[in-house]
Amino acid sequence: MRHVAPHRWADAFAGKLDDAERAEIEAHAATCRACARARDRIKLASGSFPALRAIQPPEIAWDSVRARVHWSVSSERRVRSRPRQHWTWLAVAIGAAAAAGAIATGGFGASTSPPATPVTETTPTTPTVVAKLPVLAGLVSRSSGDVSIDGLRVDPFERVLGPNDSLSTGNGRIDVQFGDASAFSLGPGSTLALVRFDASAIELALTAGSVDIEVSARAPDQRFVVIAGDRTIVVRGTQFRVVHDDVKGTEVACKHGRVDVSDSTGKVEVNGGHELVVRGHDPVTATRVAALSADEIAALTPPITMPVWNSDLAHNSAPLEVATSGNRNVRVDGIELGLAPLRVRVMAGRHTVEAADGAGRFRAAGWIDVSAKPARLDVPTEVAPTGDIAARKRQLLAGIDQMRLASCTRRIAKQGLSSGTYVQFAISVDRAGAVGFLNVIGSDLPSSVQDCVKNVLQDVRFTTGPSATWRDRLDL
Amino acid sequence: MLVALGPADEAELIERCRAHERAAHDEFYHRFRRQVAGNLFRVLGDRTDLDDLVQEVFVIAFRGLIRFRGDARLSTWLYRICVNVALGRIRTRKRRPAAVGVADLDSTAIDPSLSERPEQPDRSLERRQEQEQVYRALETLAPKKRIVLYLHEIEGLDLKEIAYLVDSNPVTVRTRLFYARREFYRALAGDPATGGKDDA
Repeated sequence: MRHVAPHRWADAFAGKLDDAERAEIEAHAATCRACARARDRIKLASGSFPALRAIQPPEIAWDSVRARVHWSVSSERRVRSRPRQHWTWLAVAIGAAAAAGAIATGGFGASTSPPATPVTETTPTTPTVVAKLPVLAGLVSRSSGDVSIDGLRVDPFERVLGPNDSLSTGNGRIDVQFGDASAFSLGPGSTLALVRFDASAIELALTAGSVDIEVSARAPDQRFVVIAGDRTIVVRGTQFRVVHDDVKGTEVACKHGRVDVSDSTGKVEVNGGHELVVRGHDPVTATRVAALSADEIAALTPPITMPVWNSDLAHNSAPLEVATSGNRNVRVDGIELGLAPLRVRVMAGRHTVEAADGAGRFRAAGWIDVSAKPARLDVPTEVAPTGDIAARKRQLLAGIDQMRLASCTRRIAKQGLSSGTYVQFAISVDRAGAVGFLNVIGSDLPSSVQDCVKNVLQDVRFTTGPSATWRDRLDL
Repeated sequence: MLVALGPADEAELIERCRAHERAAHDEFYHRFRRQVAGNLFRVLGDRTDLDDLVQEVFVIAFRGLIRFRGDARLSTWLYRICVNVALGRIRTRKRRPAAVGVADLDSTAIDPSLSERPEQPDRSLERRQEQEQVYRALETLAPKKRIVLYLHEIEGLDLKEIAYLVDSNPVTVRTRLFYARREFYRALAGDPATGGKDDA
């Protein structure tokens, strides 16, 4: 008899061979070490199949993934449902006239623009955002550091930006969204004025510093320009950056799309992936366009925009402030926002926050439920787990009052929602058994249930022993 | 524990999702997220980019719900998307090989600190080695063969079910499975010499 084909061992273990066949190959294996070895290996591997079938997935950032899914789906739907630009802007113009009339009379009437037009409308419900938005309005979507509007250090999230407003940044930056997928981000040490900000034209005057701009495509007769000194950058649908200094000159880097840079001597086109660096007061026509490197293109980060842009935005969003110990990079719902402390406009709902650790890896830092009011999340100090935690973990598990814990989740259990719920936390216990801190850093439970679980954990009594700091997770 | 959806509830949920109702999307995600993550995790054998893959599955699902005809259960339809996403991932990985993350299977499946009866270390190591062997053998197969073999040998699905999941016909699946099994068990046996000769 020749060697036994390995897959026949699998057939034998699955009961697919009759007794005679099985006896035959077993007899061969009794005299053939190679086949016996193959049989043993396949037997072990086949025996592990049921365990493989039963493996549970690891925990991932469920809320973050959900936010990203929602973001993707809603963005696509928004693009699909967007009407042709010509009609949108015509409607915007009509809406602008209506809004102007309303402003002149000291009040706001019902919106006359169709549903797809940018922000207009309705009655105020929140103190953080002026409720009635003009047709072309700028809403701050992110802010950090020193920022002033019209020379005053006001809360930028309380303002709706419009024509003749000016923005200045010290060591901070500010992102302003002014339409569906249109926004700009003013970098540190910059000054920008909204010279015109209406349906027919947007003119931004950059006096100093840098501005990153992303604008959706527009019709040929709709004008969007950035004025940097005596140079004018005419924008098509694109993402680009302008850096201007009256002495050093102007840099225009285009990530995609196209911009035209002009001065009194003529015009130069800058296409996606290219930049134009005009030194001092050199004429633009005497300057050559250069290609950007991959790193330079990657560095042209777009402004932060809201996933939706509609008439409910003022009511459904609010600023979320994220503060960390030290200046740590943070993400909200998986989107990297830069160094904290910062504020970002978010939709009402639950948001996950991650903060970078010392090695630059993002780790879950907590979550927060945001309504239509300003919210703040203080990211706890990064704790390095100590080595001697096994005894403390055992004490924690043994000390949990299971009855109280069950009562915390009883209501959601009745609703069939308790499957897979968890609370992730960081805890510190000293030698005397006193709890130094207990921070909940992740959970998919409602706030009230989560607080209840936290109280149960706080009431666990530890005996004397080694001091320990660790992160743990309680599946409910 | 989430209550399983009956056909009527399932149809209602689909309709609400098609109407772009945010709450329905959230419910859909909450109900199926672990199933989707589990499917992807088991097929691929590692957790690299699992977040991104789960996101991809749900984005495809929400986009495709409008075309869902209801000729299979929603969970089966989602499994089909998972299989396709995993197939794409395997193909990418073939072009840019990554370490087999079988260690992840062991380290992330269960939190030992919170399990009631921790597994003995020796048994845990053995289990890990066995699983590692299986996924190493799977890695040797071409992506399409790997998928059908996984679905048949490990998940225990029949040819018709596999044909639906891989969008093929049962005859093709049977042929693919025939060769996949030979290659897989030959790799598991770890001795190419024995596999070349068949007594049958």
